[in-house]
Amino acid sequence: MNLSEAEAAYFKRLARWKIIVILLTLTLILTITFAVTIGPMHIPPLDTYKIIIKNIPFLGDLVGGESSSIEEVVVLQVRLPRVLAAAIVGIALAVAGVVLQGLLRNPMADPYIISISAGASLGASLAITFGIGLSFFGFLYSVPLMAFVIALGTVLLVYSIARTGQGVPMLTLLLVGIAVNSFLLAITAVIRWVSGEAMYLIMAWMFGSLVICNWNYVGLALPFIIIGVAVIYVFARDLNIILLGEEQARHLGVDIEMLKRIMLASATLITAAAVSISGIIGFIGLIIPHIARILVGPDHRILIPSSALAGAIVLILCDTIARTIVRPAELPVGIITALLGCPFFVYLIRKRKRSVIW
Amino acid sequence: MVTLRISGIDCYYGSIKALDNVTFSAREGEVVGILGPNGSGKTTLLRAVSRTLKPRVGTVFLDDINIYDIKSREVAKKVAVVPQETTATFDFTALDIVLMGRNPYIDRFRMESREDLAIAKRVMELTHTWHFAERPVNELSGGEKQLVAIARALTQEPKVLLLDEPTTHLDISHQIEIMDLLRKVCKEKKLVVLAVFHDFNLAARYCDSVMLLSNGSVFSIGLTGEVLNGENIKRVFHVEMIVRRHPITDSLYVIPLSISRSKIAPSKDMIVHMICGHGAGAPLMKLLLEHGYGVTAGVLSTLDPDHDAACTLDIPAVSEAPFSPITEENHKANLAMIDGAKVIVVSNVPFGYGNLKNLEAAKAALERGKTTVIVEETPIQQRDFTNGKAQGLFKELKSKGAITVESCKEALSIIKALKNSA
Repeated sequence: MNLSEAEAAYFKRLARWKIIVILLTLTLILTITFAVTIGPMHIPPLDTYKIIIKNIPFLGDLVGGESSSIEEVVVLQVRLPRVLAAAIVGIALAVAGVVLQGLLRNPMADPYIISISAGASLGASLAITFGIGLSFFGFLYSVPLMAFVIALGTVLLVYSIARTGQGVPMLTLLLVGIAVNSFLLAITAVIRWVSGEAMYLIMAWMFGSLVICNWNYVGLALPFIIIGVAVIYVFARDLNIILLGEEQARHLGVDIEMLKRIMLASATLITAAAVSISGIIGFIGLIIPHIARILVGPDHRILIPSSALAGAIVLILCDTIARTIVRPAELPVGIITALLGCPFFVYLIRKRKRSVIW
Repeated sequence: MVTLRISGIDCYYGSIKALDNVTFSAREGEVVGILGPNGSGKTTLLRAVSRTLKPRVGTVFLDDINIYDIKSREVAKKVAVVPQETTATFDFTALDIVLMGRNPYIDRFRMESREDLAIAKRVMELTHTWHFAERPVNELSGGEKQLVAIARALTQEPKVLLLDEPTTHLDISHQIEIMDLLRKVCKEKKLVVLAVFHDFNLAARYCDSVMLLSNGSVFSIGLTGEVLNGENIKRVFHVEMIVRRHPITDSLYVIPLSISRSKIAPSKDMIVHMICGHGAGAPLMKLLLEHGYGVTAGVLSTLDPDHDAACTLDIPAVSEAPFSPITEENHKANLAMIDGAKVIVVSNVPFGYGNLKNLEAAKAALERGKTTVIVEETPIQQRDFTNGKAQGLFKELKSKGAITVESCKEALSIIKALKNSA
């Protein structure tokens, strides 16, 4: 192989990355347009699109036509925010999963591993049981705000326990995370035990569901997720290098301790933001990064965007199933992600004969 | 001119002092080996130079720049590290890994450029890794992975290359390949190469200078030939070593001996005197020492391998100038030594006019009532270069009661039996 061939191969790969991102983006758009047409109230797909386009500035003027206000409310105020919530929660969980698996160099890591989920559950349980009211710009967001704040506090606690003079050893962080996680889940169990009727609500929240997601919830989580994912992407190359091991990464000029702090903070922020509006949705953050790694390889510069897009697509599909499969009731989406995600994941592992997934 | 200067560094792990006042400097084009027992601070020294472990006292200068004063990215452009082993548990290709070496040069928001790719290719051709550039690194063999690690370090375009036992996990042909490569790169690219070794022979062959560490401080430092001597190695490692210059490679080679004389004190009342030469006596010398016997030898030419062995094993011996017949004076000295011994062993030596006197000494020993053992692995007819004189003496020895055996082991068991009966 001479240099021009090598260059060609190398830049061909960059082109392939672009194609992957474009294809996944198109798939995501298709998934969204498909998901908004599904629901208990029958609205023809074409009408659905008309309603949406009509409400996009400028573009809306091109489409005339009347539609009843009730349909407009269903599409714009119920379905669309929920589908978009699924998208951003999927993005956040998948990206946080990639980051934590890379940072901990542990294929079993997921966004909840350093006890974000236990902290959020505790916050949500407190809010639900004791009716703690928190408002934000005039809206009442007791559950998400309590979940968010206590989740962040929990990670901060874990981090400060694990910290030593030289920095934060990742293995210590993992172990402290597991310990704090069990402790908080025990407290949450006590609260649930004494909560009486609210017990059902807490259970539903802990299974994960997007049923309450309206525009306000989307607006609450979106800024954190956009900023967090953007910051993480900026450090994609450093995440590649840390896979060589911390000491070797340091020799290549990576400021390891700073990287760990920024990555943990960003991953925590986006996970907490997602969890605060959706509850604990499992398996997306664990499995999507692995599927993406199998499909596009280990380089974080492509792994992060493709995981994000795949996470959004998969969670929208799972949520669509969750809200239609036992109509008129709903299943928590966390159950669907587990029921479908696990067998698919096992299939992928089996299909790939090489023992290395990672 | 690149100079690496380490000035009086003390390094600690917590409260444990790992390096104590280590000072040295190395110049470009120089391969410096770091040797020492486990826990002597070799790896710690590399960590201090790679800006991984900040010394509490002293610092590391590269061209008069204190590496602890500049950013880690800047250090990564000057100092590269090859680890002992790369645990590649992921699917990056060899080229991906090598390109990671360009990290300190690439801005956060940029991808690798054509120039980076060209540098990676040049280095990979140099390290013979280019033909598997596209292969996943976890499918490569240990030797190939290590070559990739070296390529990655070289794409950093460093001035200093640090290696921590770079060949420990590799087979002999890869060891030689990698060390030849490193030496070549060091000279051509004018690098300072600082490498930790466990293998004396590799260090002796490839290092210009050597630092011997002991308990965190420098025991000895200087040119390889000066530092690597039996005495130094014995004092640092507490193992007996034979250090020689090899006639073909002209480098030092080091062979550890299994015994440590400091542990077994040789017996004073069971001394065996060896009439040997031509390397025939050395194995029995070692065996006897290991079994706790006192050993003497004579007369030996100073160029004889047995003379070397006697010196290395601290065996008293009567020596003679090379290529000269045994003088009367040395013969007498030999007889005096025989008087001090209980048993005389005549090794499987060829006899010429030069060493015939040694057989006469054996005869004298028999006449004085000493037990004499003849080791005859090869019949005397085949190693007699004295027109039958040696054979004649042999016959006499045997008729006067010398015991003939066929191997060193047999000789040892006879000597053991003698000791037990006495």
